[in-house]
Amino acid sequence: MGKTEENDALTKNKPPTEKDILAELELKMKKYLRGESANLEVLKDKKLKGQLAVKEQLYGKSAQAAAKAEKWLMPSEGGYLEAEGLEKTWRIKQETIAHEVDISSSRKQYDIILPELGPYTLDFTSSGRYMAVGGRKGHLGIVDMINLSLIRELQVRETVRDVVFLHNELFFAAAQKKYPYIYNREGTELHCLKEHGPVLRLQFLKNHFLLATLNKFGQLRYQDVTMGSMVGNFRTGLGRTDVMQVNPFNGVVSLGHSGGTVTMWKPTSSAPLIKMLCHQGPVSALAFHSNGHLMATAGKDKKVKLWDLRKFEVLQTLPGHANTLDFSQKGLLACGNGSLIQVLRDVSGTQNYSRYMTHSMVKGYQVGKLIFRPYEDVLGIGHSTGWSSILIPGAGEPNFDSWVANPFETSKQRREKEIRALLDKLPPETIMLNPSKIGTVKPKREKPTKQEREAEVEAAVEAAKGMKLKKKTKGRNKPGKRVQKKQEALSRVKRPYLEQKIQEEENMSRKKQKTSEGVELPKSLQRFARKKASS
Amino acid sequence: MKLKEMGGGNWKNQKSKKKQNLQRQKRGPRLPSSLQKQIDRLNPTTPLESADSDDNDLYEYEEERAEEESRKNKRYDPVSVNDDLSEEIEDENVQSDDESGDSDYIGTKKDENVQSDDSGEEDDGRHARMLQAITGMPSEAFEENKKKKKTMNDFVIPELYPGPEYNPSRDVGEGNARISIEDLLNPLSEKPTYGKLRKRQLQIMKHGRIVHAPLSKAVQAKVERTAAYEVSKKDVSKWQHIIQRNREAPTIFFDEDVNLGFSTVGAIASEFEPRTEFEKKIAALVYDNEVTDAHKNDGSKLLEMNKVSIEDEKDRQNRIAKMRSLLFRHEMKAKHIKKIKSRTFHRLLKKDRFKAEASQIQMDPEAAKEHAMKRERERAEERMTLKHKNQNRWAKRIIQRGLNSQDEGTRAAIAEQHQRHAELTRKMHSMKDSSSSSEDTSDEDDFENSAGSDQERAYKLLGKARDKTMKVLEEENEVPKSGLLSLPFMRRGLEKRREEAVEEANLAFQEYEDSLKKLENSGSLEDPKAASTSGRKVFGPAKAQISDTSVKVKSYNSYGGSDSEDDLGIGKSDNMENMGSHLLHNKDSVVIQEDTDTHKESLLKTIDDIIENPGPKTTCEVSIFVSDQWKKAKNKNENTTIKKSPNLTGPVRQNKKDAEKEIGEDSDTDSVGQMVDGILSSVSKVPYELPSQEELIRQAFAGDDVEGDFEKDKQEILEEENPEPEKPLLLPGWGQWTHIQEKKGLPSWMLKKHEDAQKKRAEALKKRKDAQLKNVIISEKIDKKAEKLHTKSLPFPFTSKEVFEQSMRVPIGPEFNPATAIGPLTRPEVVKKPGVIIKPVEFEDVNPHEKSEQRSGDKRKFKKTSGKPVKKAKVGGKK
Repeated sequence: MGKTEENDALTKNKPPTEKDILAELELKMKKYLRGESANLEVLKDKKLKGQLAVKEQLYGKSAQAAAKAEKWLMPSEGGYLEAEGLEKTWRIKQETIAHEVDISSSRKQYDIILPELGPYTLDFTSSGRYMAVGGRKGHLGIVDMINLSLIRELQVRETVRDVVFLHNELFFAAAQKKYPYIYNREGTELHCLKEHGPVLRLQFLKNHFLLATLNKFGQLRYQDVTMGSMVGNFRTGLGRTDVMQVNPFNGVVSLGHSGGTVTMWKPTSSAPLIKMLCHQGPVSALAFHSNGHLMATAGKDKKVKLWDLRKFEVLQTLPGHANTLDFSQKGLLACGNGSLIQVLRDVSGTQNYSRYMTHSMVKGYQVGKLIFRPYEDVLGIGHSTGWSSILIPGAGEPNFDSWVANPFETSKQRREKEIRALLDKLPPETIMLNPSKIGTVKPKREKPTKQEREAEVEAAVEAAKGMKLKKKTKGRNKPGKRVQKKQEALSRVKRPYLEQKIQEEENMSRKKQKTSEGVELPKSLQRFARKKASS
Repeated sequence: MKLKEMGGGNWKNQKSKKKQNLQRQKRGPRLPSSLQKQIDRLNPTTPLESADSDDNDLYEYEEERAEEESRKNKRYDPVSVNDDLSEEIEDENVQSDDESGDSDYIGTKKDENVQSDDSGEEDDGRHARMLQAITGMPSEAFEENKKKKKTMNDFVIPELYPGPEYNPSRDVGEGNARISIEDLLNPLSEKPTYGKLRKRQLQIMKHGRIVHAPLSKAVQAKVERTAAYEVSKKDVSKWQHIIQRNREAPTIFFDEDVNLGFSTVGAIASEFEPRTEFEKKIAALVYDNEVTDAHKNDGSKLLEMNKVSIEDEKDRQNRIAKMRSLLFRHEMKAKHIKKIKSRTFHRLLKKDRFKAEASQIQMDPEAAKEHAMKRERERAEERMTLKHKNQNRWAKRIIQRGLNSQDEGTRAAIAEQHQRHAELTRKMHSMKDSSSSSEDTSDEDDFENSAGSDQERAYKLLGKARDKTMKVLEEENEVPKSGLLSLPFMRRGLEKRREEAVEEANLAFQEYEDSLKKLENSGSLEDPKAASTSGRKVFGPAKAQISDTSVKVKSYNSYGGSDSEDDLGIGKSDNMENMGSHLLHNKDSVVIQEDTDTHKESLLKTIDDIIENPGPKTTCEVSIFVSDQWKKAKNKNENTTIKKSPNLTGPVRQNKKDAEKEIGEDSDTDSVGQMVDGILSSVSKVPYELPSQEELIRQAFAGDDVEGDFEKDKQEILEEENPEPEKPLLLPGWGQWTHIQEKKGLPSWMLKKHEDAQKKRAEALKKRKDAQLKNVIISEKIDKKAEKLHTKSLPFPFTSKEVFEQSMRVPIGPEFNPATAIGPLTRPEVVKKPGVIIKPVEFEDVNPHEKSEQRSGDKRKFKKTSGKPVKKAKVGGKK
């Protein structure tokens, strides 16, 4: 008999000593400090040193306060299924969990059978309060997940391939047969996005208010939802695919292609930022951990791989197919294949995922979409005959931040949040692989290109030409003198560039000499070579 | 005082002496060479001697200088400076006066000395002459004076005069450089003042003090400046800690304890002091002891004190009465004015009233009757008075003048009046006619015209009604064989309703029959028209429609009564109405809306059901309407799937056609047309389709040489960014004239160039981020749009990129920090409330060693300490 142990890991142990608590706080502080401070001892500027020291101190205090709040003020604590003795967590069935949990949690296990309207796809709002449902055969709906009431349902009478909520539950987009459409909560069609064409997948970038679509012809489009402008339109050139996922950490859109490659895109560059070969066969699913470092891909080559996105290296390769993948807020990875669902968990915290739970649907139900409900230990399953919901203990973040996502939001709060979100909207160019680099010094360009240099010189020359000469008297205003002056000015302007050029050439030649010198002596004898300075 | 003076003078003298010395040395070369030679010849030992004496001199000076300095230091004791600055200033003044005198005096002397040094005794004489000329006094006096002075100075301050050291002749003559005061005094022993001098000398000897010559002005100023600098430095440095603390403080506060003085009216009033006569009087009354006592006790005494004369009271009452009446009048006037409404208001009101009346007439027979009565009365009045028939004065006058000569407006007005008259006098329809139903008046005008008697009309009507019911009954017997209504439950419902309708219709029919019979019996039996219409079925299209709708409404009503869910009923009946069009036009938006309504209901039901029975149970939901079309579609689907399954095993080409069909959305394209909404019975479950052939093929062959492709891709991209250098080539024919040239091959510079280019390329490739990663291509392209998100250069105080970037790593917004930390993180350098006057910093003792403690201490402490100096300095209103 499996036993679910949530929130009582502490009660079993002895009360933690002060030392433990301090260590824990230290660990948490480290997280909030976001890295080490620079070495201030090196600084010569006393004033700056003092200022930075004060700043660091404040950062430390802030981190400490945050760590303390996290330790002591969080209303609930997360926990996982824990097996006793020979038990295995993955043998624990949903039924047994249902017996153990409270009524409100057990209500979250259900199957909705809607066999006729085809495989269903799901999407949750960021707070997890509302769910959008899209049946392949034109069935769209919004469900309030707290009281399980259907808010609106409509039948569009054409294929629906994907559904996605926009910034809040008031709007959602559906990829239909020919175009994607935007509906409001009442089911009124607001927009038909004809430019996007027959879209296969939709993603919404919440911080940037961008709707990213991928259509049948492999075109990736970004549309700004607030202004309606088309921000980006790129041809992937890698064929049709319906594997698309946004990295929640940085807003980079990743696509999985039939060539086994995964490409990552941002709306301001026409070439992919990253193109990596992940699988031997076509990529069938993609998912990102919310910390942005971890990516899971599944291929038709019967492999599920976990990637470290900082190094672009494989962390772990697991056997098995997966049609759909999803990371939960706490980092559980759900894989769906056929009618079987597996949830993997990083037990040791070393990015080593192992089986945590399994669930099999009724035979014949094909899982099409897995998505964890935010702030709940619930996994939503969209399958060929409706949708289901199962309990995965430890999946969701136990505490929600009402400034970020509030499941119990009132309409007034929602309105206010919408305004705030619009004010805080990020421009599309802030999407980059490492957004923490924003605000730092501009990466140096290796060299200005020849064209740029020429342009610079030209601009300087133009400026010099445009300069107006003073009107001088007493024979200094002769045309000859004026021309001379102008020429002088021009040469003065050109001079630094020419000097630079000469310098570079000299450097080059010197380098060549050096290399040639280095070549002359074998390495072992080089240390015996007489140095110029000593002689 | 005197000592000081003397000191000053000495100092000066000393200085002048030195200067003189220098001058002399300087002057040496300036002498004409002949003179120089002469001097040399005269006393060849002089330079040596002088040098010696100089040395001595120097030594002496140093000693004296040191003493002087020490004294000086004493004089400029910081305490004394601080204590009595004024005194110092006075001193200075005096001194300066003295100095000027001294310097003048010395200056002349100096010159004299110099001259005497150079050119002997005759100079003295010249000088005396000069003095004589200037002052007009006999030269003897000067001589004497000089002598005296000389002696005095000699023994008091030997340095004052150039002295024997500088007088070579004297030196040589005496042989001994030292001259004691006794030596000088001895010759004076006979003089009467000798005793006095002697006494003085003894005194001086006893005390052993030597007053030195004053320094020159510039040097003195310099020394003073240095001393003053020291003092002021010390004075200023006491601020250093305060200033340093303020500089180091992250924030300086200027808003602590802002007291802006009085805040309430009461507080201001409490400060009030009566000054003028009037104010005093008032105050005396207000602060009357008796009154306050009375207040304090119980107030009953107040009444006693409150004595009012009768006249006053009368006056007051009168005044009040007047005011009241004025007020009342004003009020009345205001009311009146308020009542007056604008023209448009009245017009609108009238319009409204008319509208209401008109509607009431139609609705209510009573009102209609009333209206008719009113109209009748109006008509009678009009006819009696002929008010609108050019009877009034205005109209008469106009007519008299001639209508044609009037302007347009008047004519129109007259015409209008006429029209009104006509309107009013027009005969009304009878009451009965106007109250009869609109249907009759509108539809069956011919009846009105043709039909003579009421009986006949009633007969006709009844006949028609009967016909219609008959027809409806017949119509309803036809059972729909297709569409929604063919479903069993629908059929059942329909039948039920029909039965009811039939019953009702029968009843109505019977009624008609009865009444008809009655009519026939009572009225003219052999009315051919009636006979012809009674038994026969005569269908007029319009009439049929009317009956149809009525029946429908009836049925609808009956249905509504029977069914609990009204909405559903409406939906159904509407659907029934729209059945035909619905099936034809699937995309009717209205229908969608309605459908969704019903659909929602049903889905809600399912969810509820499921909640009730949480076990895995398939709920069978009976659909509300299922069309044949849908069934057909389903069949088709099944067919296609069946077709597909054998195809899967078969060769690829055969089912190309099939595959083509399903390229878009697997089998969706077929069924989209026939798709019908609503939840369908779960009995007919469509099995999940296997992936299509194309997909299978794609899966099977997609994995071929994926790595090779990727590598090729990467190479291409690398090539694009760093193109491979061109291979060195010679133009054909060039440099190949002889076989020797051919043998040599390409020139070495070409080869070298190529090699260099290749090397460069290799280096560039090595620098790429993905150089080590075989399976990754990282784009090196620079995003121009994103460049604006970076700083172009390091901001000013920073010198290293790392330090800057590290200092930027923590976000300081309220989203990322706890509320307690945001304030200090984002606080500006200076916190100040608007309007607060910043006063200069006040001195306060600060322990410089406190600093380190402060650093590590609490933030609040920071705040406090940093605010302190300001706090002291600022509070102005508090005094």
